[in-house]
Amino acid sequence: MPNVYVQTVDEVSEYSQLSAWRSAGRIDRLYVGYGATVAGIVVLSYLLGALKWLPHDPDAMDLGAMMAGPLTGSYLLGTDFLGRDLLTRLILGIQAYFLPGLAAISIALALGSLLGVAAGYRGGRTDAAVTYFTNLIDALPRLVLMLLVIAAFKPQIYTIMVVLGITTAPTIATMVKGKILMLKQRNFIESAVALGLSPPTIIFKHILWHNCRALLLIQATIGMAEAVLIETSLSYLGFGVQEPTPSWGNMIQAGANYLLQGNLWSSTAPALAILLTVLGFHLLGDGLNNIFEGKRQR
Amino acid sequence: MAAVLSRELAMTALLLAGVTFVAFLILFLAPGDPFAALLGGRTLAGAERDAAYAALGIPRTWYGQYFAWIGNVVQGEFGISLRTGQPVARELATSGVRTLFLTLGSLAVTLAVAVPIGAYAAVRPASGRAWALTMSAYVVSALPTFWLGYIAIYVFTRQLGLFPILSGTGEAQEHAWLYAALPVVLLGLGSGALSEVVRYVREEVSRVLAEEYVRTARAKGASLWRHVYKEGLLLPIAEIVASKMPFVLSGAIIVEQVFNWPGLGRLAWQAAQDRDYPVIMAITLAAAVVVRLGSFLHRTVYVAVNPRASHE
Repeated sequence: MPNVYVQTVDEVSEYSQLSAWRSAGRIDRLYVGYGATVAGIVVLSYLLGALKWLPHDPDAMDLGAMMAGPLTGSYLLGTDFLGRDLLTRLILGIQAYFLPGLAAISIALALGSLLGVAAGYRGGRTDAAVTYFTNLIDALPRLVLMLLVIAAFKPQIYTIMVVLGITTAPTIATMVKGKILMLKQRNFIESAVALGLSPPTIIFKHILWHNCRALLLIQATIGMAEAVLIETSLSYLGFGVQEPTPSWGNMIQAGANYLLQGNLWSSTAPALAILLTVLGFHLLGDGLNNIFEGKRQR
Repeated sequence: MAAVLSRELAMTALLLAGVTFVAFLILFLAPGDPFAALLGGRTLAGAERDAAYAALGIPRTWYGQYFAWIGNVVQGEFGISLRTGQPVARELATSGVRTLFLTLGSLAVTLAVAVPIGAYAAVRPASGRAWALTMSAYVVSALPTFWLGYIAIYVFTRQLGLFPILSGTGEAQEHAWLYAALPVVLLGLGSGALSEVVRYVREEVSRVLAEEYVRTARAKGASLWRHVYKEGLLLPIAEIVASKMPFVLSGAIIVEQVFNWPGLGRLAWQAAQDRDYPVIMAITLAAAVVVRLGSFLHRTVYVAVNPRASHE
């Protein structure tokens, strides 16, 4: 056979990822740009909240300016039903989900990769056990499992996020397993073994780092969107962050009675924050997926 | 076909056993005596506890308690609610029907809205209208359901004045049907399933349209619809119903809270608040049964559409 160019695993993945970004469509770049902006604002606001660099005292009540609209006096986004600054409370609301969300994502990625590698690399009985675990998680609605855990233990955000992480792991495991099966089909893993590489090198360097990192990054961004939705939902239900500590969920809940009387804003502002954030992380995941995993054909 | 379905049934039994076991384990690991409420709120230890358990007919070991629970459930006996003192089975039946109505109705709404959008986006991938429709599905999915629910209540009660109070019970009131329809539509649009279904349908339809047999059918001038609907529509819909069932049940917990809808979600919420173990165990099992029914349905359609699959 003349002139056979043998590509290594590394070359294939590096090449495809670089060129994928260059040839990405306009819409996908727009998605990623918007999502990255949202992620940047979330991280920045988290730091501002952690450092307590806030426009107002989050608990200071201005009884002269209750339920003020945006741009009233020094209140950029107005105030809630107790006259507390909404912007400050929105910024602080990020504290409620940011670190817990990262914890959930870390658990999901670590457990998901572990299970995926076990199922794909070893196959056989391990694969069957992982499949059973996946089906087990899929058989239970996530919120039902969370309520069960809340009934057993105290409602605590980190307990809930551990459940979120564990219930997200099977999705990631399935994807990692799919990647490995694809690599096996193209004899990459067989070649790596023939080259005398040790299993840890093959698994961590060649499988997870070179071939799964885009996938894991995408799942991490989608995981943050999930964490926002779960945290706000549980805070709304009264099982998450409690007043007066702000969470976007308990802010909507607290404003709901006033909303029904026609004061829409103090409930709507956190709802818009949820919308922009969740949409941002979803579009970021979507855009990255289209660019690096090549779902869009055009 | 029978072989495939009976294997699926065996898998379901195995999974239900697993789900209840895990649920039992979580409750067992919780601090405090799960039977404290039956013992008058006291947490006993040693011989005193054994005697009290024996008097109540509770097995001593946790696995004994688990098997006793399974044995009762097989006979349709779910125990007594710690909060209300009523048999759990009865509460489960009445609220389960309401939740089933809510979830199945909302799945129909999701499909009715998402399938046309997804199919349109697959057929015309480059059109601006397809992008706008897809994007609005994304936006609606990213809005918190509970806020959307309050806005809907506000619009219908205050602005339109269609119903005066929100009771949530089946009492005869004006526009009762609308009051029942509102949560169904809301859950269908807002539970986050909408955008995922749009994405799924778009990918499935564009995949099927790119298949060689479709090209052949087109070249022959045969009716495309007749060749595509099984794989491109029937199968994805069954798949969606199966895979979205858990999401919709999760969403129902929130929507029932907003609309004061006395279903399984409200019951689960109340049980989590009161640590009402018999109720939460029963709901966990019921939810898993509903989810597995959806997946059983999917499998049936899959085998019916794909005769080859019955030899797998």
